[in-house]
Amino acid sequence: MSAILPDYRPGRLSPLSERISAAIKKRLATVRDYFSLAGRALGFVFTRPFYAQDWVQQMDEIGVQSLGIVLLTGFFTGMVLALQSSVQLQTFGATMYIGRLVSASMIRELGPVLAGLMVAGRVGSGIAAQLGSMRVTEQIDALNTLGTDPIKKLVTPRVLAALVMLPVLTIINDFVGILGGNLISTTLVGIPTSLYWRTVWEQIASDGFTLGVIPNDFVQGIVKPFVFGGVIAISACFFGLNTTGGTEGVGQSTTRTVVLSSILILVLDYFLTQVLLSIFAP
Amino acid sequence: MSDEHDTRERTAQEQRAAERRTDGRRAKERSTSKVRAAIRDELADDRSRAETIEMQVPVIELSHVYLSFDQPILEDVSLVAKRGETICIVGESGTGKSTTLKLILRLLVPERGTVSINGEDITELNFQEALDSRQGMGMVFQGAALFDSMSVFENIAYPLREHTDMSEEEIASRVREKLEFVDLDPDRVMDQLPSELSGGMRKRVGIARGMANNPEIMLYDEPTSGLDPLTTGTITRLILKLQRELGVTSVVVSHDIRSVFKMATNVAVLHDRRISFFGTPEEMSASDDQYIRNFLGGA
Repeated sequence: MSAILPDYRPGRLSPLSERISAAIKKRLATVRDYFSLAGRALGFVFTRPFYAQDWVQQMDEIGVQSLGIVLLTGFFTGMVLALQSSVQLQTFGATMYIGRLVSASMIRELGPVLAGLMVAGRVGSGIAAQLGSMRVTEQIDALNTLGTDPIKKLVTPRVLAALVMLPVLTIINDFVGILGGNLISTTLVGIPTSLYWRTVWEQIASDGFTLGVIPNDFVQGIVKPFVFGGVIAISACFFGLNTTGGTEGVGQSTTRTVVLSSILILVLDYFLTQVLLSIFAP
Repeated sequence: MSDEHDTRERTAQEQRAAERRTDGRRAKERSTSKVRAAIRDELADDRSRAETIEMQVPVIELSHVYLSFDQPILEDVSLVAKRGETICIVGESGTGKSTTLKLILRLLVPERGTVSINGEDITELNFQEALDSRQGMGMVFQGAALFDSMSVFENIAYPLREHTDMSEEEIASRVREKLEFVDLDPDRVMDQLPSELSGGMRKRVGIARGMANNPEIMLYDEPTSGLDPLTTGTITRLILKLQRELGVTSVVVSHDIRSVFKMATNVAVLHDRRISFFGTPEEMSASDDQYIRNFLGGA
């Protein structure tokens, strides 16, 4: 062997490229597992046994118990939107259009995204921690041993509940946000409530209706949280079920869940908006 | 006088006749009972013959099992448990003892080799069939692995609700029966949550849940680890009781040599990813293999 490469062995020639290819393979396998979990969880929706009780319980945990933070964030977001837009609109003498701005931003963007981010933080982390500790205390193995498919028992009810509850939470968030805008525009800007709500309605009606009755803005505002709900629940269950390394691993799974679902919510929001705008283009 | 004599004579005759009748009956009974006994004997013979045949089919059989994740875990592991036997797997930590239990449960599938339950190779089963095959087995986990969102009652009732059509009353009486079997007072613990129980009690509830379905195979992962000597004794006696009274086949993974020697029909020593010894506790203590000597000495 030459002096430059004293330790030359064929297997060790390119450890870096090997490591990179191994890392890529691992990532791809993770992505595949993620989608296969999603597929199996949704596939079980129509097969017996139905764990209806778990589903209802999860709807309570994901939906009803998230109501508080959603109301709070929605209300303050509406207020700050009204405040900021009043300053901008004042320069054009168009403060009467505050209602239009607040409702458009809330229903199309902030309602779904904020509800999604809040639920990712509150519910996603909770699910990941719960399933993660079930994994490290062998409760998942116990379920398997007792002849129950853990995906069916644990993942399907959570995904279903999130798919149903996130749109509901978003609608509430939208409404409370518009209400918050109402409070600011009447008290600080001096726009009467009736005018505010008229402009809100004008905005909603201006984009047309689906099937003649449902405002297009609403349809856009509901499709997003539906997708976000699925993303949050599946990410949380994925990281929770794949937890390794004891209690420390549970912490890591929780963090990963919140990070991944938040990023996915913001990234998917952009792409969904593009698709929805092209469908509902005026 | 003569009348009196006559009467006495008649009574005596009647008595004799009665005696004869009873004798006849007795004789008849004797002969029928002989026949019955003969039939019984023959049936018993048949049964014992059937049992011996059944005894010969291993309930659990691992043959030449290889398993590796990032590195090899098990190499050429073979193991046999016949009906009613208790096999104890001992070895250092991290030698793949719990993994062996997971193979039997088919939570893991070996790369090579077969795992058979009642003569059927379970490595080829699909996911649903594997779930079904696990219903004949009860597993007691190291940390009991009770569902901590459910009460003790719901934990034990879980396998019954999942896989049987039992009514609520039947489930309740089955849960009571199992709790009593593991020496827990049903009225006291049934509504408690697992987090409210002591370690030993949790283990016992774990055993009760494992046996709720009346499985013919029981698997225990370190049933006595982390328990005080008295509770260890109780759990060991419980495992023995299960084996003797219900005739279940058991595989016990344990570090605790003393309880292993009490329970085991055969001991398997897992060392260096292989089974380095398989035999009765007596054979094990008589062995002059250095590793086993060290292992026993260390314990």
